[in-house]
Amino acid sequence: MISVHGLRKHYKVHKRPPGLKAALRSLFHRTYTSVKAVDGISFDIRPGERVGFLGPNGAGKTTTLKVLSGLLHPSEGEVRVDGHVPRLREEAFLKKIMLVMGQKQQLLWDLPPAETFELNRAIYDVPTLQYKQTLDELVGLLEIGDLIGKPTRQLSLGERMKCELAAALIHRPRVLFLDEPTIGLDVSMQATMRTFIKDYNEKYGATLILTSHYMDDVAALCPRVIVIDKGLLSYDGSLEALVQRVRPEKRVVLRLSEVVDASRLESLGKLVTHEAGTAVLQVKQDAVNATISRALSGLPVTDLTVENAPLEEVMSELFAENKARRLQTAESVPA
Amino acid sequence: MVRRYLRLLTVQLKASGLQALQYRADFFTDGFTSLCWVFTALAPLFVVYGRQPEVEGWSFGEALLVVGWFTLLQGILEGAINPSLTGVVEHIRKGTLDFVLLKPADAQFLVSTQRFLPWRAFNVLTGLGLFIYAFMLLGRGPSPLGLLTSLLLLGTSTVLLYSLWILTVSAAFFVVRVDNLTYLFTSIFDFARWPSSVFKGVAKGALTLVFTYVIPLALMTTFPAEAMLGRLPVASLVGAVVGSAVFAWVARRVWIRSIGHYTSASS
Repeated sequence: MISVHGLRKHYKVHKRPPGLKAALRSLFHRTYTSVKAVDGISFDIRPGERVGFLGPNGAGKTTTLKVLSGLLHPSEGEVRVDGHVPRLREEAFLKKIMLVMGQKQQLLWDLPPAETFELNRAIYDVPTLQYKQTLDELVGLLEIGDLIGKPTRQLSLGERMKCELAAALIHRPRVLFLDEPTIGLDVSMQATMRTFIKDYNEKYGATLILTSHYMDDVAALCPRVIVIDKGLLSYDGSLEALVQRVRPEKRVVLRLSEVVDASRLESLGKLVTHEAGTAVLQVKQDAVNATISRALSGLPVTDLTVENAPLEEVMSELFAENKARRLQTAESVPA
Repeated sequence: MVRRYLRLLTVQLKASGLQALQYRADFFTDGFTSLCWVFTALAPLFVVYGRQPEVEGWSFGEALLVVGWFTLLQGILEGAINPSLTGVVEHIRKGTLDFVLLKPADAQFLVSTQRFLPWRAFNVLTGLGLFIYAFMLLGRGPSPLGLLTSLLLLGTSTVLLYSLWILTVSAAFFVVRVDNLTYLFTSIFDFARWPSSVFKGVAKGALTLVFTYVIPLALMTTFPAEAMLGRLPVASLVGAVVGSAVFAWVARRVWIRSIGHYTSASS
């Protein structure tokens, strides 16, 4: 469905030192530097897959999504989405895709969302019957029946985002690019959005690429993740395997009925946190069973769970690893 | 294809109408502003013609026809061209032009039809009223051929105005802030309230040349007024048709090139 080979997107950026003198000089003599937003990444995505795009700020995630949706032209490389070259912006291509951006909105600000839906219906040439069916379904699933008649400016952020999603799906896109769709939403609204996105993917077999800083979004939606850092691809595979690679240790969470001395806990494994009757231990995978039996026999345990390290920690460790590797490479190359 | 775009235009017009009705106070202040604009357009004419009966071969009644065309075109500019195209500048600044470019329809059409101010139709009606008043002063009516020609020129003038605006907002893809350019454009358009020959004496006629060929204000208001009076040379009519076609073509090319320069604001 999506194939990307050797994608590069470089920007020419005007750069000048601070100060009035430099500002005046730059009026007549400008110096430019090249910023490598994406620097040679390749991947393939099958129809109906849900893929998470991860990376720190400025990694090149949004740039890649914009290249895939035809908004930006690649500097180098080959990109195809369902057989189309995105930068040509053919109508057939644009009717198949949609980009939802959590930080930008397409809803008409002063009018009710229903007017934007109607406008999109005309733009995408959606047949009346299909439009009615899709709209009924979206209104039902997203529970926006009483919202679509209110002016957009009167809606809360969460309500607006639900309507944004509905506006984006009126033409039933087969490829959906979601750029931080849950940003700024409260926990329950995030969960609603996730469930809805997953249902849409399963019902219509839509291919989905998601970028999000909320790891819960990624964990709930994306069996596969692609990690980009400084414009380079640093991981492509299952989320499970990524966690195993970066943080093979497990977390043993103990709920205790009485206060236990930290030294007793430390004898079982690395103590991560210890507060208000809960202790979290980090232990190697092959030592989990032994740790559990020792804890159950020697400590006042009321409840016990075994978990993976939080995804946030896994990611920050991966990014730190990448940074250290880059520094090492830079040092080994003589100036 | 044409039917689809006509339907799109209808939906966009409906949305604009609803937007105008959304705020009751705005609706009425817009109407009041339109009324004021008409009087500001007429005031200088009364001042000048209060002292002399004729300026560069134009009597008060004839000059009133030029003001009529100016008022009518101002209505079109402020009501149908300006609101949509200044919206483009905002889209570029905020990066929301992304949504326009993602749509499977011509981006220039979508941005050019996104907003209309229905109250500005008041200017158009006033322009028509000024034509009637001017011909009453002149003591005759326009010839059928003159009327037909001026209708054709209404089309070419609208195309010219629209193309000049497209060229102005295209600059926003490169410099982002074009507020000054749009102000400059509106100020220059103000000259169109005078018959172009009044500028003959300024800078050895250079201004007349500029207003005919570079910023063709003469083509927009003086030519249609002359057509109504039945004294527009055929060569000028051909010039207006060809000129507006050339401007439209250039504007389209510049727009397409400018879109290629769009880098989109980061999220």
